[in-house]
Amino acid sequence: MLRRLGLTAAAVLLAGCATAPVGPDVDDGAGPITLRFQSLAFQEPSVAATERIVTAWNAEHPDVQVQLTQGTWDAVHDQLVTQFQGGTAPDVIHDESADIAGFARQGYLADLGPHLSGETRSGVPQGVWDAVTVDGKVVAAPTLLQSYVVFANTTVLEQAGVTIPTSPTWTWDELADAARRTTSPERAGLGWGLRQPTATVMSLGLGFGGRFFTGSGDTAAVQVGDAELEVPRRIHEMAYTDRSLDPTSLTQSGSDVITGFLAGRYAMVVAGSYVAQQLAEAAPPGFAWRVLPALAGTSPNQAANPQTLSVPADSPHVEQAAEFIEFVMRPDNVAALAQGEWLIPASQPARDAVEAATGGQNGWEPTLDGAQYLTTAPFQAVADYPQWKDQIATPALQRYLGNQSDLPTLQRELTEGWAQVAGG
Amino acid sequence: MRRALQYLALACYVAFLGFPLLWLLGTALKDRGELATGGLVPLSPTFENFGDAVRRADLVTAAGNSLVVALGTTALVLVLALPAAYALARFRTRLKVAANAWVLVSQVFPVILVVLPLFLILRQFRLVDSLVGLTLVHAVYALPFALWMLQGYISAIPRDVEEAGVVDGAGRVRVLVSIVAPLLAPGLVATAMFTMISSWNEFFFALVLIQDPAKVTLPLTLARFVGAEGQVQLGALAAGALLATVPSLLFFAAIQRRLVSGLLSGAVKG
Repeated sequence: MLRRLGLTAAAVLLAGCATAPVGPDVDDGAGPITLRFQSLAFQEPSVAATERIVTAWNAEHPDVQVQLTQGTWDAVHDQLVTQFQGGTAPDVIHDESADIAGFARQGYLADLGPHLSGETRSGVPQGVWDAVTVDGKVVAAPTLLQSYVVFANTTVLEQAGVTIPTSPTWTWDELADAARRTTSPERAGLGWGLRQPTATVMSLGLGFGGRFFTGSGDTAAVQVGDAELEVPRRIHEMAYTDRSLDPTSLTQSGSDVITGFLAGRYAMVVAGSYVAQQLAEAAPPGFAWRVLPALAGTSPNQAANPQTLSVPADSPHVEQAAEFIEFVMRPDNVAALAQGEWLIPASQPARDAVEAATGGQNGWEPTLDGAQYLTTAPFQAVADYPQWKDQIATPALQRYLGNQSDLPTLQRELTEGWAQVAGG
Repeated sequence: MRRALQYLALACYVAFLGFPLLWLLGTALKDRGELATGGLVPLSPTFENFGDAVRRADLVTAAGNSLVVALGTTALVLVLALPAAYALARFRTRLKVAANAWVLVSQVFPVILVVLPLFLILRQFRLVDSLVGLTLVHAVYALPFALWMLQGYISAIPRDVEEAGVVDGAGRVRVLVSIVAPLLAPGLVATAMFTMISSWNEFFFALVLIQDPAKVTLPLTLARFVGAEGQVQLGALAAGALLATVPSLLFFAAIQRRLVSGLLSGAVKG
């Protein structure tokens, strides 16, 4: 009986395999082309703006229809790793430049250079294009940028006698001084959500000339000297020497710390510029806040790690997908996305559109001004950077910022960890 | 006095277990201002987060997809695991040792390691972006642990009962279906619960395999409320998560009685 059952099951399985269609999806050439666009838009207004853009495109292009799917920032890297290997990545991919560099080096992304118009190219600064150029190929169109800014409770600053700065930049020393003066037994001068510290440290490190890597691609080498360690050293000093930075905030996410900021537990917080949206919507009546000028070390530079739109090299519709990206890159479209996410448009015309639409209110003016300091960073051209970031840098920085290790240990872990990741 | 302390300890334990759900409820009922500054209990409860969650994400369709996949996975796992676990529990062969070792080893593979080969195989059969493909993957992933669980339950059933069936003229399949399966009811229910819940909550396979917006499952839909650098739309996420737990709770409520009665009947028979 069992034998009969086994034979029947085997026959059914074989029949199933024989009749199942095998091989990659192919376009049968009939009907309109369908492009799959995976968006990572997060805030409700930017999701709505994305839908509007897709609807407008579909109305204008009956032969090339875009199907919108929603992805998630948390897992997009692992998702794309699998989909690139399997040849089923979406035709238009939303991601960020630091993440796509590795995919580009493996040849998974198409060169958009020949497809993008002069108008689109001239609107975006060269430093930002550099961040999405790999081996001479433009592997993505940059859409939105984020900078790290200082949000201040202006009432507390004024009560502590700290002059609200109006200069174009603000130094780390001035930040430390203001944090000390606004610290009281009930309140820390500064709160900083650094649960995932690497991106922040790498970006702000540029302001002290911290490059972290030399070379690019597979030949990159790590470099961790005084300039690279300056940002974590200053944060550590504020937390454990000055005691003007709440150490518990260092273990929290940016959003958690904003909750404390609104509750009056911190006079200032450092966070991504997009946090302004949360403050604008959730600040209680009478809570006065503003974005302070760009934070500067030896320069106010930060890493430009733009959100990007790319096309897989093996997409059967590279040209049409690039045309759709060109459509998305229109200033009014990028401005709508930027306002929805509270991020900085990569292109100047779109930035102008946001400034005109917002009047520079709710922190938009200093945030948009800070965009001029965003520039390409060496780590974005390093193939193994994402792995080093997750496996080495993040835990090492967490230990140091948690006062569990010292600066020489951090330096050693970052350096030796690179050898482990890169196999050197 | 001692009884009162026992009740107090039990109440504390229940409160401890129920806290995440209460926190979720409290958070889902807060308005934006309270989410940023408020405590545990919403001072001015609002349902706007539920509206946001339902409006932004098609929770009903996603829940339907999750239900189809979870039920399909559960049925497939039970059908495959019951005879396999019976064979592993009752037959003494070298294969049994190897099979058990494999079941244990298969549990230590990280998901990211198995997803790529699975993805490539499913692609060959055009099962990427299909709920059938996702069901198969969930079943493959849940099967080893289900086998492990059921094996233990089967080993606990006295062989005498089966031998009595054989003496009465029943074959192996008849013994399995008519004698072992009914006695195994509590074990089957527990395994079904485990399988169902693991499939209902599974995120990563669904993320990689499902691309059609009409086929996304509930965990994928809820992930929409998490953005870059740990940004979270907490109110909508809490409301969505709360709605997502309702089917699980109903499933538990429906199946719990069966589990308890099965256990009790087993106790009487023992």
